[in-house]
Amino acid sequence: VIRRWLLPWLFGLAVAAIAWQATLVAAPRVIMGIAVERLGEAGGLNRMLHAPLRGPGRATIVRPSPDLAYSSCPFDLSKGPLLIVAAPVPAPYWSLSVFDRRTDVAFVRNNRETKGGPLRVVLARPGQTVPQGVEAVRLGGDRGVALLRILVEDRARFAPLDRARRASSCRSL
Amino acid sequence: VTDSVAPAKAGAPAKTGTEATPSGAPASAGATILRYLLCGLAGLVLGTGAAVWSVRAGAFGSSAKIGPWTTGGDIGTDRASAFTRATVALHGLLALPAREARYYSAEADDDGRPLDGRCRYRLSGGDSGGAWFSLTLYDPAGYLVANPAGIYSAGSAAMSPAERGAWTVLAGPDPKPGRWLPTGGLERFNLTLRVYLPADGGRANLPRERLPRIARLGCP
Repeated sequence: VIRRWLLPWLFGLAVAAIAWQATLVAAPRVIMGIAVERLGEAGGLNRMLHAPLRGPGRATIVRPSPDLAYSSCPFDLSKGPLLIVAAPVPAPYWSLSVFDRRTDVAFVRNNRETKGGPLRVVLARPGQTVPQGVEAVRLGGDRGVALLRILVEDRARFAPLDRARRASSCRSL
Repeated sequence: VTDSVAPAKAGAPAKTGTEATPSGAPASAGATILRYLLCGLAGLVLGTGAAVWSVRAGAFGSSAKIGPWTTGGDIGTDRASAFTRATVALHGLLALPAREARYYSAEADDDGRPLDGRCRYRLSGGDSGGAWFSLTLYDPAGYLVANPAGIYSAGSAAMSPAERGAWTVLAGPDPKPGRWLPTGGLERFNLTLRVYLPADGGRANLPRERLPRIARLGCP
């Protein structure tokens, strides 16, 4: 019996190891794909969605920070590059980060690095034409999420920040 | 199992084993394929299930354990392992890389007991070595906990410079004087400490003495 089952058992172990690794590798892409879909359903792809401050209850993205205001741009570069404009806001901290389909951070910059000024970047696939004079971020995949974070020191005084952040945008070129 | 005993011809001594007769060969091959299929299927279920279970059970950024806190310094980078990448995607998608913020999460107190929202805790700490910090309380699914006061976190943005050097927050189901972090009476909760713009660029984990203490004061 042992002789008959030894090789099948070894085969099963090999399949288990491959399934383990494949699941781990696939999980971020699947989860990011779902996040892009859901954010796209809420505000549309290649458009900036300025979400209200997070409170209790279900949200598209788990573990949100209640101290930050989030504006997200779920993007799809299959039809062309994407221009992102982050407008300065009167907050001690804000940043723009871009996450690719594997959930890796392809780009991040904060207000200290921009010295309080606006930020303009273009996301593009290799080979796509990017306008001159604008910083380009090349991505290996079409889909991902750009996220604008703004520190809200006092949730009761969020209104001016909320107005200011609406000057930030993303759009296909 | 059909191949355990091959059919015996009349008058001939019975032979055991799959190779006994030519007519047994197809059955033998079929049984061998069946064994591989069964083991392969079991391996597929086991490997996939174990990966899903471990990622679901894994803490956000769980590559280093420091007292009750867990953290990972390679979040969002191509250096992240497949496991780190999967746990971050599930428990904290779109997390910032280390140079922008460091994340530390805790599901137990200083004595290793699971955090219980029916109990009272004293959370205390000092300078976290970043531009500012924030301590947020979540339910086990990673969502903010509903409470009438609308308090979900305690952070240095609301503290004076002196308090940032030595602060105390009481966590529990009922309002407390001073800084209070409501637990909502949940059976289980967890904490996430965010340290933004860490002074060292996020290269090193904070040592235990610079991470908040989580002391259980009592339970009903």
